[in-house]
Parts: sequence; structure tokens; C-alpha cells
Amino acid sequence: MTRYVLVVNGREVAVEAPGEASLLDVLRDQLDLTGAKYGCGEGKCGACCVLVDGESLPACRQRLADIGERAIVTVEGLAAGGELSAVQEAFVEENAMQCGYCTAGMVIATTALLAKTPTPSGAEIRAALEPHLCRCGVYERAIRAAKRVAGGGR
Amino acid sequence: MTRLEERLAIEPDGTIVVRSGKVEIGQGIRRSFARLVAAGIGVPVERVRVELGDTATTPWDMGTFGSLSTRTDGALLARAAHFARRQLLDRAARRWNVEPSLLAGENGAVRGPDGRCATYAELAAEAPLTGEIRDDEPLSVPRGPADGTDDGRAIVTGSLRFAGDLRTPGMLHGRVLRPPAHGARLVSLDDRAARAMPSVTAVIRDGDFVGVVAERARTARAGLRALVAEWSDPPPPPQHERTLVLRDDRDANQALAAAAHAFAAIYELPHVANAPLGPSAALADVRADGATIQAATQRPFGVRDDVARLLGIAPPRARVIAVPAAGSFGRNNSSDAAIDAVRLSRAVGRPVLVQWSRADELHAAPNRPRLSAHVRAGLDANGRFVAWSSDIVTNPHVYFGDLERLPDELVAMTCARNAVPPYRLPAAHVAVKIVPAAIRTAALRSLSAAPNVFAIESAVDELAATARLDPLELRLHNCDHPRLIRVLECVAERSGWARRPRGGGVGLGLACALYNDTYVAQVAEVETSPRIRVRRAWCALDCGTVVDPDGARNQIEGGIMHALSWALVEQLPHDGPRVTANNWDDYPIARCHDAPDSIDIVFTDDGHTPPTGVGEPGAVPFGAAIANAVAAACGVRRRSEPIALAK
Repeated sequence: MTRYVLVVNGREVAVEAPGEASLLDVLRDQLDLTGAKYGCGEGKCGACCVLVDGESLPACRQRLADIGERAIVTVEGLAAGGELSAVQEAFVEENAMQCGYCTAGMVIATTALLAKTPTPSGAEIRAALEPHLCRCGVYERAIRAAKRVAGGGR
Repeated sequence: MTRLEERLAIEPDGTIVVRSGKVEIGQGIRRSFARLVAAGIGVPVERVRVELGDTATTPWDMGTFGSLSTRTDGALLARAAHFARRQLLDRAARRWNVEPSLLAGENGAVRGPDGRCATYAELAAEAPLTGEIRDDEPLSVPRGPADGTDDGRAIVTGSLRFAGDLRTPGMLHGRVLRPPAHGARLVSLDDRAARAMPSVTAVIRDGDFVGVVAERARTARAGLRALVAEWSDPPPPPQHERTLVLRDDRDANQALAAAAHAFAAIYELPHVANAPLGPSAALADVRADGATIQAATQRPFGVRDDVARLLGIAPPRARVIAVPAAGSFGRNNSSDAAIDAVRLSRAVGRPVLVQWSRADELHAAPNRPRLSAHVRAGLDANGRFVAWSSDIVTNPHVYFGDLERLPDELVAMTCARNAVPPYRLPAAHVAVKIVPAAIRTAALRSLSAAPNVFAIESAVDELAATARLDPLELRLHNCDHPRLIRVLECVAERSGWARRPRGGGVGLGLACALYNDTYVAQVAEVETSPRIRVRRAWCALDCGTVVDPDGARNQIEGGIMHALSWALVEQLPHDGPRVTANNWDDYPIARCHDAPDSIDIVFTDDGHTPPTGVGEPGAVPFGAAIANAVAAACGVRRRSEPIALAK
């Protein structure tokens, strides 16, 4: 067990865990941040993506020891002062979800994309969402939500 | 025989509480029910609270499947709301000594012509609202877009807790060892290493059941990995089989022999996995006086009965609460994770949360049965069916019971769903043989309907080609259902069926179905180079009156994506009883790049027919629409899924 200090959703938090523990396990079991979902544990479904210094990465593949001072933002950290972010708002407006299990990952991926590329092409949006599996099949709606934020029309 | 007091109550603050044993699994029934109730009783939709799937507080229900929730419980709650409004109007009328017909119940209050007003809450406080909800109570469906009363905000902020997200004081994490093959028995177990791990609270063994319990999910997984188990080779599956003959007209064979245009082919569908994005999960707290289980389940009352049987207690002493679950399309009909959690909680005397791993979900969850259909069909010189014959072989599509003892109606409803084509067939033979599978099988979205309709609607197109008839004309010419004709005509018009160019690697395909009283027709436009891709999809659907237009669209889009995934991507690899897929690499499903550029959906809603379902029908004909489009695009006919050009 080692003590690590992480920056999660703008706050420093200390956790005790072995360095090889995954960020996903730490978020879910020790910080009670369950917005990032367990889907496969191998970084192949996108359900657990979080922002790591602005990049959307599967938390299940990040070792605690490797995080260092990089800023972690989970889906719980996107709404500032209770106000939904533009991406969150767009997913609600487009009803770009059914069960909602993949939604956190898709919202995180869209947030990362738009921060780097404010007016992405359709192909760039699809590429950003490509790592995210959705069993309910809301892909087209997620693309629409991203376009809505980007001002790309409906 | 349904009582109002079991279904609806008005709280002192005016909130209308309604109850159903159905569960919300992303299909949007909470929103639809709230909308129906709001319209029926006369309150804004945000004043309605819908309580679902809790064995202690909601009425018994068989389960959430079959696209039935809106049709049965939605309609029932709408009628309950209307009945309650009538009673409230009567109470105000008595209070004011006026005719009830002069009063209006709106916005949570009864108002009289002279401006007098009494809130529903104060009228309800006189005495409980009671009585038998009658079937002839009017069913009014609100028009226009639905307001959001769903969980959208909680989902995008990560605050909605799915079963695997539950945390409770004193809770432990449990993981259970799965056999490597269906039916394998545990021969030996060496659990010394796992027991020696300080982070492991307990290793529980009960016959073939082995579980590890620990403070954290990570350490429970580590404990499980430390177990050394030896499993037997599974015994061969039992040899019993069951045959249902749905139609057996004596002259079918003769008519086929004499047909002007005859056609025969075999269609085959592989096992596919339910593969919900979130694996099965449940939290159980077993105590001396009973048990409470919060589970991702489509069947809370079935889980309750299974748990009660396991614990040897009366069912009311087990409370099962359906909590938010990943869309599961039949997978969560089984009690798997709930039973795991109950066994572990009973052993350690603390609440235990079990979440299956992705590998376990692929290895050990029930899958869609295989299905093969030997179809023979014939037309007369005028393009009318003279006969149809289907000999179908599949596996059990049910999640419970012994196939040999299930009543015929139940077997037909599950394993022979949509086996008989919806066309005018002067003579027909349709027989379904159900044989055991090497791997576990049960229901997946629409059960045998999507596989059967793949065979039927592919064969109809092949027959049309044989007779040089337009596939749309052949269907219209042989259909007696006015509502099916209407959706066919509608989808043809929307998709530009008659004029849209084909060939050169682009093609259109049509298919239709009549599924549990919902009529659906779909067109796929595919390109076949460099790979098969669905460019656009069109769907015309008649589900009676649409309760929540955008919610219904979402369901149909999802059905189309699911069927597209089956048609082009999915096939569960297995070596006899051993599933060989471990993760999404071995079991791919459709991704963003597979999504059509557009999906056009139109409802042929007459505004007064009671609602039927939309959860499954969208997934039923689309596989055949794709196969037919591929054939139109490049002349290659594929009779099995997944459809691939290189073979």
C-alpha cells in the first residue's frame, strides 16, 4: 500500500492503494465516484473514460502509480456549480441515451474532442466516438449531440 | 381485476404516485407512464411519480419483455388515472351540490363554472380512492413531444447509480468462479493461496459454487484469480427435443409441386450473445429475518421467488428492488447475479455486491439460440402464393423451466415467434423443432422473431427475383393486413423505393413484419465496397397511438442498430460447450462507424388505436432488409448472418 495524492475534479485527494491498482478501481471503490462504469476492464468499450490532462482515456487502463500530478476529471466533475456543461446539455437535449451506461464515456470523449477541435467534421466526431460501444444503439444521437455543441446545426 | 388503490395514490402535496411491477431499462417507460397518467388525471407531468419494479411496493408482474410495458401497464395506469379523475370530480360535485359534468379536472384541481376550486390533494384526503379499474375506462394519449421527466440529467452527471455502482455501509465485493464450459462440474479446488491473502475476507464453497468476498472489487478479483480449480468435461446435452407444428395443410406439398414459380433455400442464424455493456450485477443483504436484493433485473418478482426458494423462506420475506441497469434485451431475465450475491451475503452475514466480469458475461450468460429454416415457397402465374413450407430448427428461447414440461402455448410464444409469414397462404406447413444447445441459451430481443423474419423476408425477395416481380409488389399483392400494407406503402414512399437508383455496389432492400400487433416495414440502403455498410435506413411503423414520439424513435433506431450488428458483425465463437470469446475483441458489436448516416422513422399513427410496443419490432425485419439490399447491390445473396461478401 502506498499513499498517492491525486487531483480529481479540481481537488486534491489522498488514497492508499498499491501502485498497480487501476484508476477505475480507485475512483469507484475509494472515492465513491461511480460515474465511470466498468464495462470490460481492458480499455475496449469506453464506458470508463475520464479526462486525464484533457485527454479521454479508459480509467481501467491507467495505473495509479502512473497518474502523478495529471488532472483527472470524471463525468461528475463536468457540471460546474450544478450547471450542466454544454456537452451534457446537448446529450440531454438530443436524448442521446437509453440505459445511460455508455453515456459518461461518450460525454467525456465529446468534451475532450471539442476542447481541442471546437468545430469538428463529421468524420472527426465519429473517430472520437469510435472507441465507445453502445448496446442500445444511440450512436447517431451522440453524433448529433456533438454537432449541436459545435454549432454544426442539427 | 385490477384495483385502483394498488396502482394510484394522491399524496398530501398533490403528487400522483402510480405503481407498476415493470422495470426501467433504458426503454423509457418511466417517462411514457408519467405522460399517460398526467393526461389521464389532469396534472402537469412533473407532478407524477412512477414507482417501478419493487416486490414490496409494486404489484406483481411477470417481467419486462415482449414490448408489452406500454401496451399493458401504460394503458392500465392511464385508465387508473382517468378513473381517479372521475372520482375526484364526483367528490367535488357532491361537495358543491352540482352536476359532475359541469366540472373540469385540470392542473391538479377540480374547478366549477362559478370559479370554485378544490385541489386533488384535498379531495383525495376525504377517503382513499378505490375501486375496480375497468377496461372500458377511456384511454387518452397526449399528443406532441414529451417533457423530460426521465433520468437524463442524472445520467450525464454520473449520479444515477446502476446496480454495480451501489455502495452501502459494511458492504463487501463478491466474485464468483464460473465453469470454463457450460455444464462442467467442479472436480477439485485449491483455495489456500486465496485464503492466505490478507485482503480476502472469505472464500465460500457450496458444491460447484465458489465465491470470493473482499473489501474491494480489486482484491475480490485478485482472490478469484488465486483459486486453482479443476473442472470436469461437461456431459453431452440432454437429447430431448420438442416439435411444434403450427400449420400442416395436407395439400401444401402438392401445391408447391404445381407452382408456376418455386423456390427453396436454407437460412441459418448463429448464436449471438446478449452482451450488455454493463455485466450483470446485484447487491444482496441477507439477514436472519429475510433478504433485500437490489438488482439489475427485468424480472424482480421472478428473482424474489428464486431467492426465496434458495433461502427456504416465504417469498414476501425476500424483497427485490430493480435498480438502473445497462440495457440488457433479455439477459437480465435470469437471476444469475442476484443469486450469487445472496449466496455470498448469506455466508458472510454482510451485504455483498456482485458484478460479473466481461469474460464471465461472454462465457456463462445465456445466448440467442441458433436457428435454421428450410423454406420452400411457390407462386402462381399471377404472383400469388400457392403454398409455403418452413421446417425450422432452433434451441430453447426461454429462461426458465424444463423444455419438456412447458405448455405448447409458451413454447410457441417464445421459440416459434413469427415463424408463420404474415401473408395470405392458401396452403402451408410450418414446423419448429427445438433441440438443446451446447451452450446456454435464452431470450434475446424479439426471441425467435428476428431470425425467423430474416429467413421469411429473404425468401420472399428470392422468390420475387425468381418470378421477376418487384419485392414490394409481391408483398402488397399477398398481404391481407391493411395496417401492414400501409407501413409497406409508407416506407416505399419515404425511401423513394420506385425511383432510387440501384446497382454498381449500391442497393435497396425491403422487409416487413407483424410483431405482437405492431406493424413494421423497413428499407436499408447499402454499399458493398470496400465493405458492406448501411448508408441509410427507413422505417414505417404502426404501434397504434404513439405515447412518446422521440422515445419511440430512440427505441426503433436502437432496434435497427441492434439488427445491423447481428446482420453484419455478431457471431459468438464457441467450441462445443466452451465459449471462446473473452472480450470485445473476440466478440465485436456494431460501432459508431457502422451507424447509418440517417435513419428515417415515420409512424402511421391514426391517433385513436391503443398503443402496442416499439422496443423489439424495430430489430425484427432489418437483417433481411440488409441481406436483400446486398443482393440488390452486387447480386450476391447471403442466407446466413453475419453477412460477409468474402466466403
